[in-house]
Amino acid sequence: MSVFNIIYQYKEAFLGGLLVTLKLVGIVWILGLSFGILIGVLASKFSKTLGIIFLSISFLITSIPVLVFLFWVHYPLQVLLKVSIDPFYSAIVVLSLVNIFSVSQIVKTAIFDFPKQYIFAAKVCGLSKSKTFFSIQFPLITRQIIPSLLPLQIIMLHSTLFASLISVEEIFRVVQRINSVIYKPIELYTALAVFFLIISLPVNLLAYWLKLKYTRDISEN
Amino acid sequence: MIEAKGIIKRFGNIQALDTVNVTIKKGGITLVLGPSGSGKTTLVKSLSLLDCPDSGSINIDDLIFTFPTNKKNWDFKSIWPKLTVVFQQHFLWPHLTLKENLLLPLQKKKFQDNNKHFNRIIESFNMTGFIDRYPNQVSLGQRQRAALARAVLLNPEYLFLDEITSALDVEQTSILIDLLFELRTSNIGILIVTHLIHFAQVILEKNENNSFIFLDEGKVVESGKIVEFKNPHSVRLNKYLSVL
Ligand SMILES: Nc1ncnc2c1ncn2[C@@H]1O[C@H](COP(=O)(O)OP(=O)(O)OP(=O)(O)O)[C@@H](O)[C@H]1O
Ligand SMILES: [Mg+2]
Repeated sequence: MSVFNIIYQYKEAFLGGLLVTLKLVGIVWILGLSFGILIGVLASKFSKTLGIIFLSISFLITSIPVLVFLFWVHYPLQVLLKVSIDPFYSAIVVLSLVNIFSVSQIVKTAIFDFPKQYIFAAKVCGLSKSKTFFSIQFPLITRQIIPSLLPLQIIMLHSTLFASLISVEEIFRVVQRINSVIYKPIELYTALAVFFLIISLPVNLLAYWLKLKYTRDISEN
Repeated sequence: MIEAKGIIKRFGNIQALDTVNVTIKKGGITLVLGPSGSGKTTLVKSLSLLDCPDSGSINIDDLIFTFPTNKKNWDFKSIWPKLTVVFQQHFLWPHLTLKENLLLPLQKKKFQDNNKHFNRIIESFNMTGFIDRYPNQVSLGQRQRAALARAVLLNPEYLFLDEITSALDVEQTSILIDLLFELRTSNIGILIVTHLIHFAQVILEKNENNSFIFLDEGKVVESGKIVEFKNPHSVRLNKYLSVL
């Protein structure tokens, strides 16, 4: 049986797993980026108050391994709260929190470290606040954060595999189950590796290229 | 006229400016001289209200700013770019070409009328060859010229130049001097920070109304015109000039 035969034979299972993975990571990306950017902006604006709170939360969350955090939210927390949540939602909560607070730190640092002199130059050139933001701060900050945000989103994609351990029926779990039936680990895990490679490699390369391209821009000035 | 009195600025326990008085008249050039770390850049930032002084008053054409102030959102905007600054490190926006750097601050409508003015400035600064490059693709002297052109294009009434001659060659500097005197006749008030004694002397000699202040450790230890510059009474300026 070739890889294609296997995939064809189990296409429904594969598609189902793929869909769960994509749904999971899609939600984690959207929540992480939108709330992460929002929190990052707030943290840089109110660095003495909100900033410290968000920084503490972010240290806490990023210091606990994702897997431990996931198990903790899925088991002890639900027992404590006397609820029982679908593991898919537990995974969304945990991965989104990790993403939100990682994104927010990247955004906050970039805004906070934005070279003041470019704002000075804008002020004495008589630029309005909004023109300064849209023509100078926004493009420069975006260039700085994208090379860090992209690899982080890939890490989040890879982290969705942990969800299989609290029995979310995502792609990894599906592959494991098919393997337990037909025992073709080489074909199956190679196919899985290729799948992740196709998504992750271009994004990581793009991030690397952007980094090379844009870090030069600022540092030599 | 800009008249600053009793300007004090501290950074922690460093007294960067200590009761500095300085005047910038329209149609005149005021030079700020002094050794490295004497407070020249700090003075430029204070006078242009970018980094407000701790104490003192600044009168810009009868708009008076006194410090310390409890006004949180003082309307400084009205003074920029009527007063504009070319900084020591030029501060061109790195993601824009030099041309875009020059055009961004200009209003679109104004620019239509100013097209001739723009081309003339580009030519007189010898910028045609590299105007479409990014700041990191040109030399320091070329960047300084671009930053100066950006400021001049704004038709300011007051122009502050912080050490912009540092990377200009003799030829460029002389072009700059001509340009400054041309600007002066169109009634602009100019403040120039420099450590080039010769450059300072040329400017003071060209017009006897041009004046200078000499800063040392945040204090004005000498001020005046060409006469005082040639015969300084302060020990510090004498010593500074004697190195030449
Ligand atoms: N943001 C700051 N924080 C703390 N100290 C500062 C700051 N800016 C300047 N200083 C100090 O204030 C003093 C005056 O600095 P300033 O930059 O005005 O000197 P300068 O005369 O422009 O020197 P140079 O000729 O080297 O440009 C120096 O002792 C400097 O170290
Ligand atoms: Mg300086």
